[in-house]
Amino acid sequence: MKKGKGIMTITMGVICFVLAYVMFMQFRTIEETNITQIENMRESELSEKLASWKEKYEETSLKLEETNAKLQEYKQKREANEEASELLDRELAQAKAIVGLTDVRGNGVIITYTEDTTTESGKIRDSDLIELVNELKLAGAEAISINDQRITNMSNIINVDIDGKKFILIDKKRVTSPYTIKAIGDPKYLESALTTKTIGFVTRHDNATLQRENNITINKYNGDIKVRYSNEVVKEEE
Amino acid sequence: MKLKKGQVAITLGVMCFVLVFGIGIQLKTTKNLEQAVGSTYRENALRDEVLKWKEQYDHIYATLENAEKQLEKERKVSISSDDNSVEKQKELKELNMYLGLTEVEGEGITITLRDNTSSLISTSTDLVHDGDLRAVVNELKNAGAEAISINGQRIVPSTSINCVGTVIQVNDEVVGAPFIIKAIGNKGNLNSGIMRPGGFIEWLVEDGINVETKTSDNIKINKYNGVLTDKYIK
Repeated sequence: MKKGKGIMTITMGVICFVLAYVMFMQFRTIEETNITQIENMRESELSEKLASWKEKYEETSLKLEETNAKLQEYKQKREANEEASELLDRELAQAKAIVGLTDVRGNGVIITYTEDTTTESGKIRDSDLIELVNELKLAGAEAISINDQRITNMSNIINVDIDGKKFILIDKKRVTSPYTIKAIGDPKYLESALTTKTIGFVTRHDNATLQRENNITINKYNGDIKVRYSNEVVKEEE
Repeated sequence: MKLKKGQVAITLGVMCFVLVFGIGIQLKTTKNLEQAVGSTYRENALRDEVLKWKEQYDHIYATLENAEKQLEKERKVSISSDDNSVEKQKELKELNMYLGLTEVEGEGITITLRDNTSSLISTSTDLVHDGDLRAVVNELKNAGAEAISINGQRIVPSTSINCVGTVIQVNDEVVGAPFIIKAIGNKGNLNSGIMRPGGFIEWLVEDGINVETKTSDNIKINKYNGVLTDKYIK
């Protein structure tokens, strides 16, 4: 009797151990397959991701070349005991162009977006313009303006209602229909993104038309940019 | 004695049952996973490619960050110490902060948006959409924000907030609920700005979205994890 019980306990113990071991192994397998989201992606998503990583790589590698070139130039000037202020001016000009503080030129698209107040779908709200700007950015636009008002990183587009009259303000300045939206970037890509079947902004809005254009000029931002409350976080050198 | 034996048997029985049940669930999960992975040869090859390029990108990005640090140091020692040049360097730093290329800290506000989980039948308005995030970011800009991030993704000039299938992407990276939106700026203005009557936050709350706001004297916002291009502008 006593012996039988002992054997049973051991048997059960062994069975439990084996089961627990199998479970543990499976947990590990599942964990491994979940390491990245990439594991669960389908073919079309994967091709898209691949293209996007390649593009990011190219952009970063160009930027790296540029940074290294500047670094060399500063070093050479210093060794030759020359003034480096001209290079600093160039760096400043480049940053200003990206911020929107200088007029810029380039190829791109011009969209004309006209309000039709007689139908509900023809009305244009702040969210429509925000959506359009967002779509242009997704398609790689490097500079955007609406009715010659430059869109900067902190530009805002809001509806206001004064005495029953509706207005749209961009950076506190009033804009009215027809809206002319200029965007500089790859014209082919901008066009195809905005006219994509069923989902492109221009396809979805009957009152919007798009034109590819070379040598578009986009005005500079008509205001100051201010950085008053932000302080740079300086990392300790490792 | 007899009772004890019975207890042991029941305990062991329950244990075995739990273990078997556990294995059953896992087998099912694994099976589902395999279906989702759909391990065709082409997909696996693509997956390897994606991983390879991501790794290469991470590597070159780290190299770039290092080069930029060196450039900043070199600039500092190369530039003469006259007021004009010092002022220009300061300006360059400010522009980079505005563009989202530096990590910044300061006073500001944190807004947390959560999907509405309280209603019995969940409708489209119970969820936070890409358009909602765009609108909240727009409200913050209108209220005078200087730096903004959504779940750690810094808002830069090239940022787009999009719905891809059922997920939301910011800067091509997936972000999920709860959405934590941080902004630096005058905290009083930010708070009153986003709470303005007829403003977007009011709409969101009416829709049942769980909105939490908190002002703070010290908010940290990390820098953009990518590069801004100027290939097409002259």
